[in-house]
Parts: sequence; C-alpha cells; structure tokens
Amino acid sequence: MPTLSADAHVYAAIADTTRRGILDLLAERPRSVNELVAAFDVTQPAISRHLGVLRSVGLVQVRTEGRQRIYEFDPEPLSEVVDWLSAYDRFWRKRLRALGEYLERT
Amino acid sequence: MTRNLRYEVFYPHPVEKVWRVLTDSEAMASWLMPNDFAPRVGHRFQFRTKPAPGFDGIVNCEVLELDAPRRVAYSWRGGGIDTVVSFTITPKDGGTALVLEHRGFRGARPLFVSLILGAGWKKIIRINIPNVIAKGINE
Repeated sequence: MPTLSADAHVYAAIADTTRRGILDLLAERPRSVNELVAAFDVTQPAISRHLGVLRSVGLVQVRTEGRQRIYEFDPEPLSEVVDWLSAYDRFWRKRLRALGEYLERT
Repeated sequence: MTRNLRYEVFYPHPVEKVWRVLTDSEAMASWLMPNDFAPRVGHRFQFRTKPAPGFDGIVNCEVLELDAPRRVAYSWRGGGIDTVVSFTITPKDGGTALVLEHRGFRGARPLFVSLILGAGWKKIIRINIPNVIAKGINE
C-alpha cells in the first residue's frame, strides 16, 4: 500500500469532522473565533482547542486585527496528503512488476 | 473532476495463466496483498497490509465484474478513497496484454473538493496538481 511522507499529525488534525468544517470555512475566507463558534454547535473553548490543533500542524495561521484574532487557512501541510494519485502510481508500478515476477516463477 | 490511473503491460504468458494469477486469492497475496478474495460477483473482501498514517491498512472491496478469462473489477475503499480497480486481459503476440485501471480519485478525501473551491488552494494546485496530471489521466 502507498505510504505517504506527510506528518502523521496532519492526518490526525484533519481526521476530525469539526476541524475539517473549520478548514472549509477558513478556505472561503479568514474568520474570527466568534464567527467560527457561530457556525458550529460547540462552545468557544472547544473551537479554540480545535484551532490550537490546526495551528500546531501549520494548517491555520493567526493574526491580530484590532481586538480580534483572525484565523487563516494555510494549505501547505496538505500538499503531501493530497497526492494519493502519485502514491498509488508508485504502488501499482511495483505491484505490476511483482505480478510479472510471480508469472515467471510459477 | 475524477482522476484515474491506467497501465498497459505485456506478459509473455498465456491468458489463462494470467487470469488465474489475477483471481486466485493465494496468488494475489503474493503479488498484491493478503486478501480473502473469491471470484464471485458481489463477494465482499478485504486486502490487509501494514497501517500507515491516515490509513488503517485495510482496503474494503466488492467484486463488481467478473468475466473469465477477460475482466475482473472490484471496488477499492480505504484510507479515505472510494475507487474502482479493474484488470482487463486480451491475448497478444502469444502472451497477454493487461490493462489495469484505478478509477475515481477525487482529490484525496471529500474534504478537498470543498477546499479546492477556496482561494487558499491555489498554492497546492500550483505545486501539486501539475505533478498529478502528468501521471494520471483526466476525465
């Protein structure tokens, strides 16, 4: 099976439904915590925790605007994750070669 | 947009032999992965391998097509992808031409379909998609 070199923490970060929802919203445009809290049926501390996880893997950046902290989506850490197709490309090339070798020795 | 992988390979062995290797559970374990495949349309089975980040090591499959000794296709679900794999073989020059298709990649996970619509995705498209397109076939 393909194995990908992306950091396992990135996978863990995007395995959570709420965090994926947060990323979807931030991919549309940067938002404040309050906007995110309004969009989900969870408490502000819970959203802040999710944002902390996303920041720790680099999927979310934060900047201060006046009294507000604005969160922004940064797709860079996903560049490895998205590449399933080339992972499977490597996988099938190897497997087809193994098939040929199996035919040779049986 | 779905993307597919397609390979054409020639094996200097008769179609019947290649067919056996494509549809025999033990043979498949040797060249592909350990499995509980059975050559019967509707049969549900699994490939099992080492877990990796983002992937529990299990591929869930169902036999979708079986046309001996010509074509076998099964669904391939695991690690967040829901795809179909097919093997089609034809006699050629005293051997066998095999076409393998792995169809239905939609980015990596459903998540990315919505992310692609986001402006932040431009970076990934620039870095990564040309690379993917070079290797895959677009539909």
